[in-house]
Amino acid sequence: MASNILGILFDGLAYGSLLFLIGVGLSITMGLMNFINLAHGTFAMAGGYISASLSQKSGMPFLATLPVAFVGAGLFGLVAERLLFRRLYKAPHLDQVLFTFGFVLSSIAAAHYFFGAGQQMGVMPSFLQGQIRVYGIDLGRYRLLLIAFVGLITLALHLILSKTRFGAQVRAAVDNQDAAAGLGINVGLIFSLCFALGTGLAGLGGALGIEVLGLDPGFPLKYMVYFLLVVVVGGAGTIRGPLIAAMILGVFDVAGKYYVPQAGAFIIYVLMIVLLLAFPTGLGGKRA
Amino acid sequence: MADLLKIEGLCSGYGQARVLDNISFSMRAGESLALLGRNGVGKSTLMRTLMGLTVRHSGSVRFAGIDLSNAPPHRRARAGLGWVPQERAMFPSLTVEEHLTTVARDGPWNLAAIYDVFPRLRERRSNLGNQLSGGEQQMVAIARALVTNPRLLLLDEPMEGLAPIIVQELAAVVGRLIREAGLSVIVVEQHARLALSMTARAIVLNRGQIVHESSSQELLDDGAKLGRLVAVA
Ligand SMILES: Nc1ncnc2c1ncn2[C@@H]1O[C@H](COP(=O)(O)OP(=O)(O)OP(=O)(O)O)[C@@H](O)[C@H]1O
Ligand SMILES: [Mg+2]
Repeated sequence: MASNILGILFDGLAYGSLLFLIGVGLSITMGLMNFINLAHGTFAMAGGYISASLSQKSGMPFLATLPVAFVGAGLFGLVAERLLFRRLYKAPHLDQVLFTFGFVLSSIAAAHYFFGAGQQMGVMPSFLQGQIRVYGIDLGRYRLLLIAFVGLITLALHLILSKTRFGAQVRAAVDNQDAAAGLGINVGLIFSLCFALGTGLAGLGGALGIEVLGLDPGFPLKYMVYFLLVVVVGGAGTIRGPLIAAMILGVFDVAGKYYVPQAGAFIIYVLMIVLLLAFPTGLGGKRA
Repeated sequence: MADLLKIEGLCSGYGQARVLDNISFSMRAGESLALLGRNGVGKSTLMRTLMGLTVRHSGSVRFAGIDLSNAPPHRRARAGLGWVPQERAMFPSLTVEEHLTTVARDGPWNLAAIYDVFPRLRERRSNLGNQLSGGEQQMVAIARALVTNPRLLLLDEPMEGLAPIIVQELAAVVGRLIREAGLSVIVVEQHARLALSMTARAIVLNRGQIVHESSSQELLDDGAKLGRLVAVA
């Protein structure tokens, strides 16, 4: 029983790590521009398909596809931001919702056309398959790698945000965009870079998550609410809040599906409403 | 010598709403200007328009020989406009020192020079932007503009809401900046006499238009006129 609970906790943390990896970019960009972006999952899906195609069609090792997924999704994000999204920063929120939702639907159609409707299979290297036993608990090697990897990326993000001049400029722009711009910070450039970094991380998450989240053309729609919950519950413009929110979401979702499968996603929605009532500005304490 | 700042026929506001109506004036390098007027006449809007943070309907802004009329805010700052916004606009997630290092550009105003002028900021260097008293916040707002090494400092009500003793302290610093550092300054101030005593020239706005322009001394000498224009106590 106890090892069962620990196993669920472990799976939940792995799942939460993925949600965080994909959602953290959305948190930063929503905090920066107050821009409602429903299309974030599209970039995660793009990373997933990049990785799947490379490993299936050209036999590239799974781990080697990850940097390509990161860079490819990031470039896709950069181009989409420069050409499309930036026109909507000053638009009413309804326009942003409609536009980005339309973007999601188009991306679903495009994925359908190019990759078919089926689930993609990740090609896991053998050393990532199976389990290792730690204190009597079986831990999936792949999930272990996932948690460790996301831990490292979180640390790197934290260091970039808190220790570099670029990070300080991002924080200044999140705090007060006009003052930052009026002091010489190129807020538009900062935003483009954050958008590219965030969509790149989403693409990395989409690729890493093929085994856990699955990958088919419906991906951006299926997980849209999850990514938004990570940001809204965690608080936009921070990384600590979304990290905690993603972990809570991951653990409760896995536990809910295990113990009360008939309740489906009901449990996490209730949980998120409770958290939002308790922390109206998000767990990170910033404006949401 | 050519004008440092030259504004011609400037009309601007927020969205469709027009606040500034046909503003024209110019300043030479090293000059100091008091910008006066009652609440809501458009003083901050003029500052924000100089920084490119409003909608410009018509007119032009030239600064240091460059046409900045269409330039985005960060380019105006880099061209040498140092903006100290009304109500300070601190960055709550930056420390005092980060406020300075994040926007600093090469020039005589480096960290050491700032801490010389504002020793209090050295003591508070690790405090976050929202962990400061009003006076300290104002010092950060001024220091943060100075480290960009501007040619023209735009001070929007730097004394607002401060205790009289702090006002004196800050006024002394601003006065020194104008006299000794040779900085060009536009000061917006509710304490009209204080602003006039620090500056050489004065402009008074009413409902988005310039209604008076003279030497600061002239307004200081004519209390009745000053009272009519800005309703000072
Ligand atoms: N962000 C804004 N959006 C729309 N209208 C605004 C905005 N800011 C100011 N205004 C309007 O523009 C006019 C001028 O405001 P402004 O802040 O420039 O006045 P001010 O002279 O600086 O006043 P104060 O002495 O109170 O600071 C006012 O009528 C104000 O209501
Ligand atoms: Mg004002």
